[in-house]
Amino acid sequence: MSVLLDINSISLSFGGLKALSDFNLLMNKGDLQGLIGPNGAGKTTCFNVLTGVYAPQAGEMRLDGKLLNGMCCNQITRAGLARTFQNIRLFGNLTVLDNVLVASRTQIRHTMFGTVLRSMGHLREERALHAEAMTLLEVFDLAHLAHETSRNLPYGSQRRLEIARALATRPKILLLDEPAAGMNPQEKKLLAELILSVREKFHVTILLIEHDMCLVMSICERITVLDHGVTIAQGTPQEIQCDPKVIEAYLGKPMESEAI
Amino acid sequence: MVALLRGFYPYAIAILIAFVMYKVMPVGAEKIDLGILQINSFFTKVTGAIGIAIIMAVSLNIVNGYTGQFSLGHAGFMAIGAYTSAWITHYGSIHFFGNANAMEGLFTKGSALFVASLLAAGLVSALFGYLVGLPSLRLRGDYLAIVTLGFGEILRALLNQTQPVLDEFDIEEATRGEIFTGLGGALGFSGVPKYSNLFWVWSVAIITVIICYRLKQSIHGKAFLSIRENEIAAEAMGVPTTHYKVAAFAIAAFFAGVGGALFAHTLGNIVSPNEMNYQRSIDFVIMVVLGGMGSISGSVIAAVALTILPESLREFSEYRMIVYAILLIVFMIVRPDGIFGIREFWEVKWIRRLFRRTPKETHAP
Ligand SMILES: Nc1ncnc2c1ncn2[C@@H]1O[C@H](COP(=O)(O)OP(=O)(O)O)[C@@H](O)[C@H]1O
Ligand SMILES: [Mg+2]
Repeated sequence: MSVLLDINSISLSFGGLKALSDFNLLMNKGDLQGLIGPNGAGKTTCFNVLTGVYAPQAGEMRLDGKLLNGMCCNQITRAGLARTFQNIRLFGNLTVLDNVLVASRTQIRHTMFGTVLRSMGHLREERALHAEAMTLLEVFDLAHLAHETSRNLPYGSQRRLEIARALATRPKILLLDEPAAGMNPQEKKLLAELILSVREKFHVTILLIEHDMCLVMSICERITVLDHGVTIAQGTPQEIQCDPKVIEAYLGKPMESEAI
Repeated sequence: MVALLRGFYPYAIAILIAFVMYKVMPVGAEKIDLGILQINSFFTKVTGAIGIAIIMAVSLNIVNGYTGQFSLGHAGFMAIGAYTSAWITHYGSIHFFGNANAMEGLFTKGSALFVASLLAAGLVSALFGYLVGLPSLRLRGDYLAIVTLGFGEILRALLNQTQPVLDEFDIEEATRGEIFTGLGGALGFSGVPKYSNLFWVWSVAIITVIICYRLKQSIHGKAFLSIRENEIAAEAMGVPTTHYKVAAFAIAAFFAGVGGALFAHTLGNIVSPNEMNYQRSIDFVIMVVLGGMGSISGSVIAAVALTILPESLREFSEYRMIVYAILLIVFMIVRPDGIFGIREFWEVKWIRRLFRRTPKETHAP
């Protein structure tokens, strides 16, 4: 097994608030891991650090051996790390297809001069990426909505489009930030299947933030639990389920400490 | 080979259309009698003004529309183009041909100099566009608007301080510095050879529209649009937003520069640097906003309408700014995205319904 993502004691604080302290994570190629924790635990912050939105105050992140520290967002994405957003951030006025095409821009080689002159490179690449985008949309059951304005899509479809768009950048690692938020149990079940099939079809490694314990436990191989920026547990779903610290973080402390 | 032709034939058609317009539209005392309508050289003048307005509005759309940056300096780039090209054709004509009069005919040595000056105007302006675009990497919204506004006003102030234009006799004993700064100052640049006509204006106008449309339809163009839609998401999807923002400024400035050059060579003088002040920039911004931020056909329609209106109603031009302000307010309430929003008119739902056409796929690459 080769190590794909190596996060080595990352720390970040906002003023006095330690949003993430001494965070470690190892991901091998093909892994599907979960990152869980109560609200405000620092999960999204972890994604923001990984994708270059915030620079970590300490620690190192490596993707395929390449140091990510100091790279800006778009460089990190082009290095092979793509994400979705907890609060959906689609390109609202663009069509579904265009949302995916923007992401597939990472693959084009021709310049804007090529575009203006309709060079061979332009025609070939645009045609290939259009076809690829449509295939991607089919996988996500969005092909029939390709020319719909993305803002007008139902919520569940918007969530799926976010994943499709991230995949269009051809990432090595896909970071999903609460993809099931706001979905009903039926939709969640379908999403779980979708995530598993995405991993097979696109050969990506997936790191998943999720609130729904059921979903995480059922599909993730390893889970990391954050609370107040601190990693309180790391292990297989079975280990996590019986970890007293995790139970405490989720259900509150036992009665006696609260009596004071 | 076929693909190559496909790439170029729209440009060839553009030039052909412009040539027909140039041949058909009357100049001087000529008239076309259409019974109810007498088309005279005034129409030709307005048609030229419309062409330049289209160049300016459509190019500004790349910055304010596609990329969602707010530039109030478009007239400044126009001025850079106007002065650069005027300087080249005026002093170039004196140097090469002995005087600064325009040569007759479309394809002369003088026209070659003129075309070279158009390109130079575009390139110099694009360079300034690049420099003005750099702050857009750090500033947003109102702050960027103020920087671009400041750029235009500083430029205008500098142009007002330049030396008188030298003619072929003055130039004998002038120093290099005097020639270099001989841009006319507050009196404007007079003695620009009148090379521009409907052929050049409309060739450039239609080519500008084609280029901007091709950009918008392409993946590169969608990268511009993604910045306006959601900059954070654009970055996260691997779009180098800084690169595209600066490129937007440079491309828009290029066309504005060429537009300014055409403008200067139409009348044969730049009346004063104040002709290209911030009010003019606002005119162009209004065209983009009314037509729809990101809609090329919208910009074209708004450019045509807002050029014809003040020209046809002389009394109107006094109240122009008031009417524009009211128009803007009405639009902000009724249609905040402009007439067509981000789409082209044939892509807009309510227009399709108007023509009862079944929606067809417009997304062939
Ligand atoms: N840009 C920011 N500035 C200040 N505090 C922040 C910022 N982003 C997140 N935080 C804080 O960091 C903590 C972790 O937030 P977050 O990572 O969003 O939690 P979650 O695990 O729910 O995704 C929260 O207390 C949040 O208020
Ligand atoms: Mg979160």
